[in-house]
Parts: sequence; C-alpha cells; structure tokens
Amino acid sequence: MMEIQINGKTCACEPGEFLLKIARRNGIYIPTLCHHEGVAEQGCCRLCLAEVVERGKSRIVVSCVYPVEKPIEVYTDSERVRENRAVVLMLLRERAPESEEIARLCEEYGAMDGSRFKALDGEKCVMCGLCARACQSLGTGAIATVGRGTGKKVSTPYDEPSKDCVGCLSCARICPTGAIPYRQDGENREIWGRSFRLVHCADCGEVIGTAEELALAAKKSGREPDTLCASCRQKQMADVLAHTYGLE
Amino acid sequence: MEVTEKNVREIIGGYARDQRYALAIMQDMQRTFQYVPREGLELLAEHLGCPVSALYSMATFYRALSLVPKGVHIIRCCDGTACHIRGASTLIEGIERELGIGPGETTPDGQFSLETVNCLGSCALAPVMVLDDVYYGKVTLERLKEILSEVREGGGGK
Amino acid sequence: MRKTVLICCGTGCRANGSLAVVDAVRDAIRETGAPADAVAQVKTTGCNGFCENGPIVKVMPDDITYYKVKPKDAKEIIEKTVVAGEPVLRLLYKNEAGERVRSQEENPFYAQQKKIALSAIGKIDPENIDDYLEIGGYEALKKALAMTPDEIITEVEKSGLRGRGGAGFPTGRKWRTAAGYDNYPKYVVCNGDEGDPGAFMDRSVLEGDPHAVIEGLAIAALAIGAEEGFFYIRDEYDLAVKHIRKAIEDARERGILGDSVMGSGHKLNLSVVRGGGAFICGESTALMASIEGKVGEPRAKYIRSVQRGLWNQPTVLNNVETLANIPYIISNGGEAFAGIGTKGSSGTKVFALVGKVKRTGLVEVPMGTTLRHLIYDIGGGIIGDRPFKAVQTGGPSGGCIPESMLDLEVDFDTLSSYGAMMGSGGMIVMDDRSCMVEVARYYTQFLCEESCGKCTPCREGLRRMLEILTDICEGRGREGDLELLERIGHALQDSSLCSLGKSAPNPVLTTIKYFRSEYEAHIREKRCPAGVCRKLTSYGIDKTKCVGCDLCAKGCPAGAISGGKKEPHEIDPNICITCGSCREACRFDAVVTLGKGASMK
Repeated sequence: MMEIQINGKTCACEPGEFLLKIARRNGIYIPTLCHHEGVAEQGCCRLCLAEVVERGKSRIVVSCVYPVEKPIEVYTDSERVRENRAVVLMLLRERAPESEEIARLCEEYGAMDGSRFKALDGEKCVMCGLCARACQSLGTGAIATVGRGTGKKVSTPYDEPSKDCVGCLSCARICPTGAIPYRQDGENREIWGRSFRLVHCADCGEVIGTAEELALAAKKSGREPDTLCASCRQKQMADVLAHTYGLE
Repeated sequence: MEVTEKNVREIIGGYARDQRYALAIMQDMQRTFQYVPREGLELLAEHLGCPVSALYSMATFYRALSLVPKGVHIIRCCDGTACHIRGASTLIEGIERELGIGPGETTPDGQFSLETVNCLGSCALAPVMVLDDVYYGKVTLERLKEILSEVREGGGGK
Repeated sequence: MRKTVLICCGTGCRANGSLAVVDAVRDAIRETGAPADAVAQVKTTGCNGFCENGPIVKVMPDDITYYKVKPKDAKEIIEKTVVAGEPVLRLLYKNEAGERVRSQEENPFYAQQKKIALSAIGKIDPENIDDYLEIGGYEALKKALAMTPDEIITEVEKSGLRGRGGAGFPTGRKWRTAAGYDNYPKYVVCNGDEGDPGAFMDRSVLEGDPHAVIEGLAIAALAIGAEEGFFYIRDEYDLAVKHIRKAIEDARERGILGDSVMGSGHKLNLSVVRGGGAFICGESTALMASIEGKVGEPRAKYIRSVQRGLWNQPTVLNNVETLANIPYIISNGGEAFAGIGTKGSSGTKVFALVGKVKRTGLVEVPMGTTLRHLIYDIGGGIIGDRPFKAVQTGGPSGGCIPESMLDLEVDFDTLSSYGAMMGSGGMIVMDDRSCMVEVARYYTQFLCEESCGKCTPCREGLRRMLEILTDICEGRGREGDLELLERIGHALQDSSLCSLGKSAPNPVLTTIKYFRSEYEAHIREKRCPAGVCRKLTSYGIDKTKCVGCDLCAKGCPAGAISGGKKEPHEIDPNICITCGSCREACRFDAVVTLGKGASMK
C-alpha cells in the first residue's frame, strides 16, 4: 500500500495500479474514450492525460496505462493538461465531426479552434480501436485495424462481409461515438454488410442474439445454446431452486 | 509462380506453427507470387489458428507486403531525403510519364510496377532507383529512358 | 610478397558496376599466365563509405587506392600495380590541390576520420569468417567468456557508450538493468531497421563486417544471460541480410555460436527477422511486436522493454553501430573508448554525409567534431561552391540547423538543446536551392505515411500539420499558420504515445525557428525564395549568361526550351512543367527562378 497526491488529495493505492483507476476510485473524474473495463488497455486516444510531478520534474502521462510505482503528485486539470487536451479534442472533432459525444467533450473541456481545417466528411469514428479489441476478446476477430498512418481504419478483411462475424454487436455497443452502424428489425440484424437471423427468448420473446452468436457462446462454454433471455433464465433458475428447497 | 493451394502450403510448411513466423511467411509469399494472395492469408490463418483479420491487418500495415499482384518488373524509386533534394520527384514524375502509372500502380500489361521507398541507403548516389534488384545511381531523365528501353528489350534488369 | 586486391562490393559500388570489375580483375590475373595465387588474392569487401567515387579498388600491401574503376582498367591495374608495383595515376584520387594521392589515408575524405565501428570494413571479405578471425575477430568474445557478467557490464559502463540509434541511452546501464531481472528466458535484439532517410551506416556495417555485430550481440547475451537473439533487419537491405545469415551460419559451424559458445557451455542461438517495411518498427516496442508476428504498433513505455520486452520477457535491444563498438571496448578496455570523443558522449560516431556536399559518403569521427569540420574539411564544401543553407540531422526526428550554428560540436546533447538531434547520424546538407518549407512538408508527409496511426496526436496532428504546410507550399498560406503549427507541434511533443510522434514536429519547429522569413515569404508574398515550390515558381533564362550550350533543352522532359546553337535559349511558360531539370543542368547559372506568373524581361 502506498499514497499519492491527486489534485492535492491523498489517495491510497497498490504499487503498479493504473493512475486512472486510482483517480476514479477517489471520485476524481478523468475523461476517456478508448478505455473500457474488461478490454486490454491501449492508451491511444490520449484524452486521459495527466501531469505527473516526481522529484520536481513534471511530465505528461496517459493515466489509463500509467502504472503508479512511486509517491507522485498528479494534476488532472493543470494548465499543461488543459492545453494538450484542447489540441487533442480539436483534432478529434475535425476527425469525427459527426460525433455528438466528441462535440460534448469539446464543450465540456474546451477544445481549441479548428476552423482552419477541413473536417473529415461525415465521419464519426475516432480510431480508438475499442471495437477491434472487443471483437478479438469477446467475439471472433472479424474486424481489425487496416492500414496505417493517417489512412488507418477499422474494417473486415477486403472490406467484405466477414465469415467470422457472428453479429454479436460487441463492436457497436462498445464504440464510444456510435460510429458502427447496424440495422435491426424483429427478425434480422444487419452489420458489417451481413444479415443475421435473430433468436428470441422462448418465454418472453425478447431478442437474445443471433443464431451464430449463441452457437459461438455455446461452443465456448460447452453447453447447449441459450433459448431464454438473461432475466427469464434467472427466473427459471429461481424457480428451480425454490422447488428444490421446497419454498413454493 | 502460380498461386495454388499446393504452392501456398509448401511455403507455410517451411515454418513451425507459431505466430512469430506470420510476417516471414507472408514475405515469402510476396517473393514467390509477387503479392500476398487471398488464399495465402486464409490458409495461413487456418495454420496459425488466428483470424484472417489479424493477418489482413499486418498485410495492410507493412509496406513490404502487397495484396494486389505486382508487375514483372518492379521499379523502386527512392524518395529519401538525400534523393528528394537531388531531384527524386523529377525522376518519379519522369517514370510516371514514361509508363503512365503512379506510385503503387502497375501498368495494364502487367509489365511494370512503380513503388516509392523512403531510403535505399545509397544516398551518396542520389537520386537512386532499383529495377529488379539492380541499383542505378544518379539517374537522369535521359538515363531513365535508356534503362527502361533496355529492360523492355530484355537487356537490363532481370 | 603476395598481393591482395580488395574490391569494394557494398551496395553503392555494386550500383556503380563493381561486380563486373571483380570479374575483369580475375580475368586479368588469369591472363598473366602465372598461377592465380602467385599473382594476387582477390577479395570482395564491404562498403568503403565513399560510394560516389566507386567502384573502389585497393592494392595491398602497396597501399594504393583507385576510384571509379571500370572493368577495362583491370588489366592495367594487374600489370602495372600488382606485378610492377607502379600506380596507375589516372585512377588515383585528385585532391583539392590537384595532386593525385596514392593511399586511402592521404585522401582528404579519409584522412580526418577515426575508425572503430568501421575499422575492418573494406579490409576483409565479409563472407569469409577466416578473414575476421585473422584480424583478431572473436577474441573479445573469448575474453568476455573469461569474465563475469558484472565485469563485462562494468567495462561497458566505463566506456560511456551510448546507443547509436539516436536516443543515446547508456548501453551499460541498459545491460545492468536487464541482468538484474531474475526472469528467464531473456532476449537480445540487434536493431538493424535503419529507417531514417539519409542514413546508411548500419547497412554498411551489417554488409561489411557482420561478424563484429554478431560478436557484440553475443557479448550482450553473455552479460544479461540470454540464450536467444534476433537481428531485425530492414527488408530493403538484401545484401545485409545475406551477409548476416551467412556469418551466423559460419559462426555456428565453428562452434562460436550454438549449444556451447566457444566451448564454454553457454548456449546462444541467433536468427534473422526481416523487417516488413515500416519506419515505426525502428521504435523498440514496435520492433518487438513485429518480431512476435504482429502489427508493428508501439505500446506505452512506462514499463521498459528491458523489463518486459519480447514475449514480455527482459530484452536488451541495441543498434547495429552500438554493438559494433562492443568488441573494441572489451578488447581495449572501457577507458580507452572513453578517452575518445567528449565527456558526455564518448567514442566515435558514423555519419552519412549526403546531399549537396562535394564528397558524400560514410565518415566516422570522434564525438564532438564540429559540423563545419564535417561538411567543409571532410565533405569538401558545397557542390558548385554554392551558399550553404542548412544541414538536416537526425532524420524525421531531427531538425534543420542553420549556418550560424555550424561550429556546434556534434554529440548526443548539444544538438538536442537546439531542438535538433544527432539521431542515428544522417546528415543531409542543403544549399540555397533547397526550400526549408518544402523540406518540413516532405518530412511531415513521410511521417503521415509512416505513423502507425494508433494515437490521436500523431495520426491527426500530423494530418493537420501537413494540411497547413501543403497550403503554404502551394500559395494558400494564411497569417496565423505558423502559430498554429507551433501549437499543434508542442502538443505532439507532449502527448504522443511513442518517440516517433514526440519527435515528429522537430523538422517543422526547427525550420520555423531558424528559417521563419522563408515561411513568411511563402505566406505573405506567395514566393518561394529557393525556387522549389512549383506553384510559386516559374523559370526563366538570363540571356546575358546563357551561352547556348543546349544542355537545358536536352534535359527538359517537356520540350519547353528552344534556342539555336550558341544562341540564348528561352523557356515557354505554357509548356514548362517547372520541374527544375534545366536549373540543375545549367553550368552557367543562367536559369533563374521567378515568382509565379512572372516572366523574363
């Protein structure tokens, strides 16, 4: 156990813990885009910047991947942090002018003026890569980053419908700017150029996923594919328990 | 060499089943077929047990790999700094005029591909181009015409 | 005494036809009728560094060096020099005084160099392990095997050796840290992904003295306790890959590498990984991702790769030139090395002196040599004695240094304090016909393509900086652009993920700092003073200077130049594509640049 100072507040932490986690636990909010619990950290959106002072030396770090090892002083809203964040936010806005979330962050944290530049046309994606990482860890690795440099994007191989995709929506749900489009009606879901048949809960009729998604989950867990939605399954489980213990 | 499952498997078979050989295997495909064919990516993914997207990601990231077939003759024109200030852009434009293709493109007859590279490490000879692995230094527009016609007639290059 | 004919077969000399010279020399020896071995031994060597004057042929022990040798000269070299001991005067180097000099050491290009990393190159056949053993090769490894890891590391620490790849991190400290982790396996990696355009010392060392780098890497492995090592070599460097592969194979056959290094019981296996053609893979964590078979994206380095590198294991990564210095340090002691160069930067550094300088090539000099000495004394000054404008050092991470700073000593720290950096040693000399705004635009475009695209500041920031710079070069610059470039540039330095992004603004920031008026001419007057930016430039011929030699017209790709023989020529602005070939071709300074739309009176 050790202690660090964040914005003057003493915070306890374990050596090696990430700064972002420590700050959030202590009620100090740092904005993020590419961070998500349960998906490996990349530290690429550069929004969660903080200024770290160690033995009189100050530097800018990225709090989501910065492991705290020493008793440091941290400032999450210093002038240097604000200036860097103002530039990063402007760059994100010109990159993804259609994103409401980015516009909101710009408003809240103060982006610099970017009217000199030609914003990307109709773009919402900020290339944080969360979708690809989520697909790798939760899904099937149907999408990944493609290319490099300023032309980098996320897509399926050859920009064609991927046979690996199970239509689970992990990518679309995790996207912080809602940049991955999908369509869904009562029977079908369309994403990444493919159409999937939806399976409904045998009890209440709620959508529980695509057939491919349920088959994959079943394969991973070694059980039969689900036929019930989460709440009906829970209800069923409760009924079984109640029956077992004679509580009916 | 023709892209067949047998030829692809032969390349893959030369390596142990380990992700660390992914780049080397794709480079071998590039050298053998002048590009990384789709069948190659799919068979390699199956071999390594990784998604095709991971390999596609690499193939689009590394400049040494190409997903479209290259021409019979590959011109690599250096646009490193030393070449750049000694007229590389003029040379590249000269090639564009002569062949009617830009960097990254291949002539419709499949004879020539033009690539620009960042530095060939031959800065003392700037501007430099490499045609079919033969280095040419201090290339002027006149010399360029000679080199291209030599290659067309089967004299230079390969 | 039996003679040796050393023929340079580095990439540069090969481009100049040295392989044909080798054949011709062999033929000429055969034609003498005497047994070949009795006449001379022919050896193909690595790069001598003076590539522009290749092919280079040396005859030993007469110590005669010939330049720009053609196959037809072979007979004369054999008959006159090898058999009779006489020099062929026309093939000797002509110095500034017009004298022909006999030995390599008398050539002003070589006379002022001090060679450690390059010491054996040009003297040995890199494909022959016996050549390396003959000059004392692998003696340092043998010595290191009798030392403890701590003793080896102490010697390297004493030498003060710092990483030659550009960052300048103390090598001894890196090894000490890696040795301290009790977490096996550990790895050693040689970074041969030389990516800075304008630098080719690593290529030259890998090609010309591969065993020295292997020996350096083997000593590193002993010091930290690694049993496996990798050479990560740029895909474009075919010959370097070939030579290193052969050298590893030969060393293994002789028992120098393998299950028991020189019979010591230490195990060491080395292998070659070819780079994929990505500048970012010169960055340590990206390089390691690439070796692991992944996309070459860097990761945050709060936990250093020396602790968690390849496959999350302790890994030491050293640059080619760094490793080539190791055998010298172990053999001669760290203090001998520390005695060369400056206090903070010991030893020598290899520079690639290129661009608009008279004598271009690779030079190795003690650290602390001034830019002026390098460019004027060794390099012989600017081509055509034109005015010097800037020297670009450190590649895309470095900066442009103006004339007022030519007396700065080049080492790790001096240039950095001026916003430039020594970097890996690329040194591109520019004259008044190089536009600093265009150079900044060039590097920014380079980096836009070479950025891995992972983090926001680098990917998006470079995109926006390029947008402004392109506008300025094409006459759409606005007031406030320079301030905007500086503001975004500073944010990149502070908030980018890896060293590529952090140093990416350097070419832009240094050119704004030292050549601001040139930017202002582009923005306010829509004029490119160097006559490079096409949209702001047109060409004309000064009739008072033109002698009608027709050289410009011959070289004009558009056929825009007309004029009778020995009569002043003229450029048709409607046909001219402003490529500048005529200006380069003219020997009388008659081609002049004008603002766009202007014409000759």
